[in-house]
Amino acid sequence: MKFTFSWLREFVDVKKSPQETAYALTMAGLEVESLASLGGQEDWVMEVAVTPNRGDCLGILGLAREVAALTGGRLKLPPVLPHVKGSGMERLVDVQIRSPSLCPRYSARMVLGVRVADSPDWMRVRLEVCGIRAINNVVDVTNYVMLETGQPLHAFDADRLATKRIVVREAGGIAKLVTLDGTERELASGDLLICDGDVPIALAGVMGGKDSEVQWDTHTVLLEGAHFDPACVRRTAKRLAIHSEASHRFERGVDPEGTLYALDRAVFLLAEAAGGVPVKGMVDRYPRRVKATPIVLREKRVSGLLGIELSRREAERLLKSLGMQVQSRSKIGARVVPPSYRRDLTREADLIEELARLHGYEKIPSTLPWVRPVGAGYDFRLQRERKVRAFLLGEGLTEMINLPFTSVELNRRFYGLWGDRGAAVSILNPLAQDKTELRLSLIPGLLENLRANLAQKARSFYAFDLGKVFCLNAQRSAEEKQYLAALLCGARGHRGLRLKEELAPNLRDAKGLVEGILEVLGIEAQPTWSGVGVGSFLHPGKAAVFGFGEREMGCLGEVHPDLCEELGLAPFLVVELDFEGLVQYAPRRLAARPLPRFPSVERDLAVVVDGTFPAQRIVSWIKELNHSLIEDVQVFDEYRGSPIPEGKKSLAYTISYRAEDRTLTDAEVNQLHHELAARIGDVFRAKLRG
Amino acid sequence: MVRESLETLKDEFLSRIAEGASEEEVERLRIEYLGRKGKLTFLFRGFKELPPEERPELGEALNRLRQFVEDRLEFRLGELKQREKERILKAERVDITLPGSRWERGRIHPLTLVMDEIIDVFLTMGFEIARGPDIEDDYHNFEALNMPPDHPARDMQDTFFVSQDRLLRTHTSPVQIRVMEQRRPPLQIIAPGAVFRHDDDATHSPMFHQVEGFMVDSHIAFSDLKGVLTHFLRQVFRPETGVRFRPSFFPFTEPSAEIDIQCLLCEGGGSTSEGQPCRVCKGTGWLEILGAGMIDPEVFRFVGYNPDQVSGFAFGMGVERIAMLKYGIEDIRLFFQNDLRFLRQFS
Repeated sequence: MKFTFSWLREFVDVKKSPQETAYALTMAGLEVESLASLGGQEDWVMEVAVTPNRGDCLGILGLAREVAALTGGRLKLPPVLPHVKGSGMERLVDVQIRSPSLCPRYSARMVLGVRVADSPDWMRVRLEVCGIRAINNVVDVTNYVMLETGQPLHAFDADRLATKRIVVREAGGIAKLVTLDGTERELASGDLLICDGDVPIALAGVMGGKDSEVQWDTHTVLLEGAHFDPACVRRTAKRLAIHSEASHRFERGVDPEGTLYALDRAVFLLAEAAGGVPVKGMVDRYPRRVKATPIVLREKRVSGLLGIELSRREAERLLKSLGMQVQSRSKIGARVVPPSYRRDLTREADLIEELARLHGYEKIPSTLPWVRPVGAGYDFRLQRERKVRAFLLGEGLTEMINLPFTSVELNRRFYGLWGDRGAAVSILNPLAQDKTELRLSLIPGLLENLRANLAQKARSFYAFDLGKVFCLNAQRSAEEKQYLAALLCGARGHRGLRLKEELAPNLRDAKGLVEGILEVLGIEAQPTWSGVGVGSFLHPGKAAVFGFGEREMGCLGEVHPDLCEELGLAPFLVVELDFEGLVQYAPRRLAARPLPRFPSVERDLAVVVDGTFPAQRIVSWIKELNHSLIEDVQVFDEYRGSPIPEGKKSLAYTISYRAEDRTLTDAEVNQLHHELAARIGDVFRAKLRG
Repeated sequence: MVRESLETLKDEFLSRIAEGASEEEVERLRIEYLGRKGKLTFLFRGFKELPPEERPELGEALNRLRQFVEDRLEFRLGELKQREKERILKAERVDITLPGSRWERGRIHPLTLVMDEIIDVFLTMGFEIARGPDIEDDYHNFEALNMPPDHPARDMQDTFFVSQDRLLRTHTSPVQIRVMEQRRPPLQIIAPGAVFRHDDDATHSPMFHQVEGFMVDSHIAFSDLKGVLTHFLRQVFRPETGVRFRPSFFPFTEPSAEIDIQCLLCEGGGSTSEGQPCRVCKGTGWLEILGAGMIDPEVFRFVGYNPDQVSGFAFGMGVERIAMLKYGIEDIRLFFQNDLRFLRQFS
């Protein structure tokens, strides 16, 4: 709401400077967003951000009331031309309200002999400073009065109304109306219309019709000042995407008692600015008087909710300054009736807010509440997130946060861990045509980050994203999960003198990340790894999925050479895992083990096996022996090439032996190791080396 | 006679070793004096030919001399070793101005850093964390927060819809409803998370982050809201930060407040040292940072609480906004472009 300071002073004796007034309004909940001097005129333009509950402040009169209550200035009303008693109006126009719940009041006046022209300069300047385009004196007067009173008015060219029988009704079967912006509007049956007989002439409270609009040759003006149901106006305006000055005000609540003053003010201005002569009498259909219900205000509640003690006298003074009536008092409190223009005040809490507002938030003390310590102060999930983030950053990965919107094509290619039938969640009103779905996977986001960073000459790119992904489940309802994805591209960044050798990451680095995350989460269970069922964007031979039992927890791999080619990049690695699922496997508690009392002895073992033989198989086999003296087995080398025959490879393991109750002798270990090696040779048809 | 030759021997030895014998010369001297055919060994051999009464005295003198020679040789060796060590230490100088060597570390996203800071202040005040879905229903996002279908306050939050009544939450406030539906007071909760609005420019991103918080018990007053949030703001910004509470409107709180802090750039003065209006606070001296209020009785009714028996406050803040103010970032889109040159600045 934009207005000038001089205009405000026509409604209230302002005792303060524009700056002080602006501050007082801001601190009372009517935030002054800007205050600018109008060059050379010793005037100021003020813009107030009016919150949706304060429809009354969408007019200067409402703001003047606030200023009066806040600073003590006297309210005054600019001149009007009230109607002269007579039946002229009743003979010329008939008004019928068929939907009184949607139109509780309809008032009208008529002016003859209007000469439509440009408005006087002072009016045009004021309107334009306040952001309203000047059109002609008649339309400008309706807008001018709307800015003054908050009551939207509409002017019809009465000579263009065939029947002069005004009917306020729901559209029902009426299908179309051309509004004054020239657009043909499709009507819904619940839209409230102003009709001339059966012909629609305006969308009530939203916009007038083209055919009855005031034009340069208009002589007779019918002025409408009505009250419409806020929700009804909003539904129509929303559906037709019309946001007019009128609908904005009706949606936020207009004073039902304000129609006559606004009309009389408009007639006064029309007489002045357009030479109009008012018709005697007026029309005022008010089938549903909007009555304010008294509100009980309990003193205890005021102190309990605000944390201050307000004396009864002070409270009443504050309420009265806002135009409220205090009807009766009792020990508990008072019955208070708010004024007709404060339709937002319906409950005790609303009155308490008014008290707090006028008393001043600044004057309410700051206290710290006495609280029962219920909060855990420790959040398991948050702590796991923090640990994993810390681990990843130590591994050189930087955190990315991407928006979850993506395209149909990307979701089809990168479907995360939902399986290839993962149905994406669509956005009904996307911002762009390539952002119509919610992501199934975090990987496309990281790919985009990679591309953008390489374009900025990044030498390598190590990144992760811990974010949500979305999917429709079998019941077609949306599910969401927190995933973690990582991308490793290029040799890991190093600070200092240039390294002799820069190593690009390989699949085992990606697997190492996953192992590290499991370790950080304290998950001791070993996941199962499999090359079956990896996504088509991954290299079929250099990728894997992993999980616990039947439950798939993640995937990793080198991206498919086709994708690299498409992106114009060297091979790189991605990891994606179901973080939320994984955290469920994280133990809540850790138990320490005592240190072993006797030393362990280590022996290495190298075998030559088929080139496709999985190294883990021997580790698992040894572990399944559950031999009391075998403590651990680790693979430490894989080798192909001379002297190992073509198609074969050498695998080297280190086995540690330990007894709980004694120090093992060399001879004992040698024998154990020898037997174990021999059995491995037999079981796996492997040739033992060295 | 023998004694005299002992003295001569000693003098001769001393003069030879004093000439600055090298390690090889020390070895040569050892052989020359103490070796199998050495000069001292020779004297020891002649010892047997002495008359018995002279033997003890001379024997002692001989032993002393041998000890003396051995000690001097050892001493000289030690001296040489020490000198060599010093020489090497002197030669082994590295250029300390060369850069240190380390692997590049990753960075935590600045939004996470700020989010963590906010969360930690509340955790230390005894708040706990609650989470809610990003895809919400109309009921939790609007209706139960006292925003019926035709409420104009819905205009303040342009919404992405995924179906007729499912949407991307426009604020973290629905978590309030979800927690209160499940639990009874006392409650001290914060709900951090992503929220979505149909908006995209330098100051609005279609996704951003909020931290919602609320405290409900039998005796919570507006003054408590002021106390808790003032403490929070002074922890996250500066301990002496000026904080201002202004009336405002939210459908789910009554009374409602907007909370400003003193501008971080002009420190509340509103203008630069050249007298220009401060560009961060646009000359007002204040920055809007939090929305808050006493939970509306209507909201309590929706979750089945009796508003005459409980009271509480709720607040919400934008994480991006706080991060932008804290770090002096002017374009919100930088957070989501994920340019390493930007992210690396937050160590």
